[in-house]
Amino acid sequence: MARFRMLLVNEFKLFRTGIPIHLVAILQPTVMYLLLTVILVHPTFDMYVDRPSTEEGRALVSAMREVGSPIGAPYINPILIDWDGASVSRQVIAVEERDGVTTAVQHYGLIDSNLVKNFRNRLTAAALRLWNADLGARAVTVEEYAWLPQDVPYSLYFGMALLPMTAFLAASIMGAILTAQEFEFRTIVEYQLAPASISLVLGARLARLVLSALIAAAILLVTVGLVTGYWPGSLLEVALILLPVAVIAGCLGVLAGLLTRKSIPAFLVGLVGSFVGWVLGSGFGLAAGFGHSYEFISRLTPFTHATELLFSNYYGAEIGHPLASILYLSLGGVVMLVLAGLAYRWRVMRQE
Amino acid sequence: MTMKRFWILFTTELKAWRSDPIATMGGLIPPTFMLIAFGLLFGGRLTFKVALLDYDQGPYGEVLRQAFDSTISPFGTPYYDLYDLPADQAWDEYRAHRIDGIWVIPADFSERLASGRDPAIEMHFGNYNDDRAKNHRIYAAEILWTFYERIGQPGPPLALAEEYPHAEMIDWFPVIAVGLVLLSFVLGGMINMFMLTQKEQVAQITLEFGLAPRSLAWVLLPKTLLALLMGLLTGTVLMGIVYLWLGVWPGRFLWAVWVLAGLVILFWVPLTLLFGLRAQYFAGVIATILTGMTVFFVGGGLSMVRYNRENVPWFSWLFPNTYAVDPVRDLVLFNTWPADWALTLLVLIGFAAVSLLVGFSLAARQLRRVG
Repeated sequence: MARFRMLLVNEFKLFRTGIPIHLVAILQPTVMYLLLTVILVHPTFDMYVDRPSTEEGRALVSAMREVGSPIGAPYINPILIDWDGASVSRQVIAVEERDGVTTAVQHYGLIDSNLVKNFRNRLTAAALRLWNADLGARAVTVEEYAWLPQDVPYSLYFGMALLPMTAFLAASIMGAILTAQEFEFRTIVEYQLAPASISLVLGARLARLVLSALIAAAILLVTVGLVTGYWPGSLLEVALILLPVAVIAGCLGVLAGLLTRKSIPAFLVGLVGSFVGWVLGSGFGLAAGFGHSYEFISRLTPFTHATELLFSNYYGAEIGHPLASILYLSLGGVVMLVLAGLAYRWRVMRQE
Repeated sequence: MTMKRFWILFTTELKAWRSDPIATMGGLIPPTFMLIAFGLLFGGRLTFKVALLDYDQGPYGEVLRQAFDSTISPFGTPYYDLYDLPADQAWDEYRAHRIDGIWVIPADFSERLASGRDPAIEMHFGNYNDDRAKNHRIYAAEILWTFYERIGQPGPPLALAEEYPHAEMIDWFPVIAVGLVLLSFVLGGMINMFMLTQKEQVAQITLEFGLAPRSLAWVLLPKTLLALLMGLLTGTVLMGIVYLWLGVWPGRFLWAVWVLAGLVILFWVPLTLLFGLRAQYFAGVIATILTGMTVFFVGGGLSMVRYNRENVPWFSWLFPNTYAVDPVRDLVLFNTWPADWALTLLVLIGFAAVSLLVGFSLAARQLRRVG
């Protein structure tokens, strides 16, 4: 136990030899989250409207203000401008007479189909309110049955799904670089000569990596909470969910370092694994919603399982198969530990 | 003599690169994987999958079903993919989040509609993401609009029309793909610069540089040129992959893409050199690669900057990618000359010049001090 403690202390002392690496690995996802929350999709769109001079135009603007979620944000912020018919940079709506029919014409300056869709749908929703008012009892009412009692901002899902990636990134790239550098700086010889078992050496390294990963995730968790106002139900459960993710990532990093013995390729393995795993592993939405192929690939990553387990903690609603996810993460951790041990034995202990 | 000296240093750098070509792959692998990932996410049909449970005893339920299929979004596809599922299975799929929602048309829908007694339909949908919940609500408006027209309701008080600046509309994934191409150009240059700088630090060649009697520009220029060429190479390879996937290619405007991308690379490479000289164990390369990815996200990588200026955060304007990405899209996606070419070029030259000046000056100072 004393030997393990010494190894662990030594691992933490390595922090001083690479402070920038550690800071980047720990803080980068939080910085990325803060930057991306600025540009993440928000339901409320500014829509420019040529200042109306007719009753229909004024009614449209009023209807636009009413379009929104009954349990969330408004969808349109109409901005009245005095448009001279010149070219448009984004869009502008003008109520005009066309062939004797009063028409709301949306003039676009953009050709991005996603934005055109968003502007078109919002205008239709506003104009439909006017039509429904005209139809009275003949209008069709859409009775909404939303899953959750409140519409939840996307920035919460985005931040929550970033938690496994944060833990993974920190553990994998630190594990990769530190292990590869043992070869580059020949300090690996000390491990070869030391009378310490593999489990002691690897255990100390992984304990250090896991702790670093959990610290990185904790920083992001606090940031997401402060930005969105949403906090998980149980911090302990969040830590337990992220623990196997960090173990898997730490082992992957150690494996990459052992197999490549070079910092840059090992680092790239950790980096690419983290980002691709995040994008494929429910990083932008629940995997099941993206089709069978995506869901199949997604469930091969630990990210989807961790995200689904985190979901119930944040949203209070269960998704996926929690037991299967717990089993996957636990087994994944064990398998990666075994692989890391075997690779260590092969690359370090049996090396001349 | 001058050219010979330059050539010797350039080939020396090239030999260093050849001993570890992973540096080129470093600029290619992350954007390629991101391309595949975004392709899986946004390259397919952007429709909502819903089940329609039609219990209507009259004709209007079927008309509503037809309205789902005939209402086409700007993506060129219907807003919804309707799934014909038995009720039990539909609810199971909905609870498993494999479909996005369920519409229920009650048995008395047609009867109430015909007699003007407040007909209603149920819309069940997920709202863990407020943006998708928004889409459910505003897509429903499109469906109902079509439905009203089909059943001959009295006309709307306000008709709707649209006017576009171009006949052609571009989808989301190609927009993202070009953003990734620019990222690949930048990462290719940056990683090469890091790799070479790190090698020289480890081999203590930087010490020799510091002691050199000549101007350090002779050392820094070949490194920068090689990084620039490797950045252009990786970006062009990714552009080739995008061509194979999406069929978009700049054609005769390839040189213009290289000019724009080259200037962006020249902004990042000197900064990378500074990081490489100062950061131990290439901590700088990690920071800069991750920063490059972040710049992709906030610098117009995911959407057209030109039409979203008000949503572009102020800090995005502090780096050249934000200015270059839309002109590159003009060239690659539309094969048209960017209207703001001259202005963009001036801005990018300004960024590159300042970065080169500051980067080279500080790097030379650093090398001399080390020496």
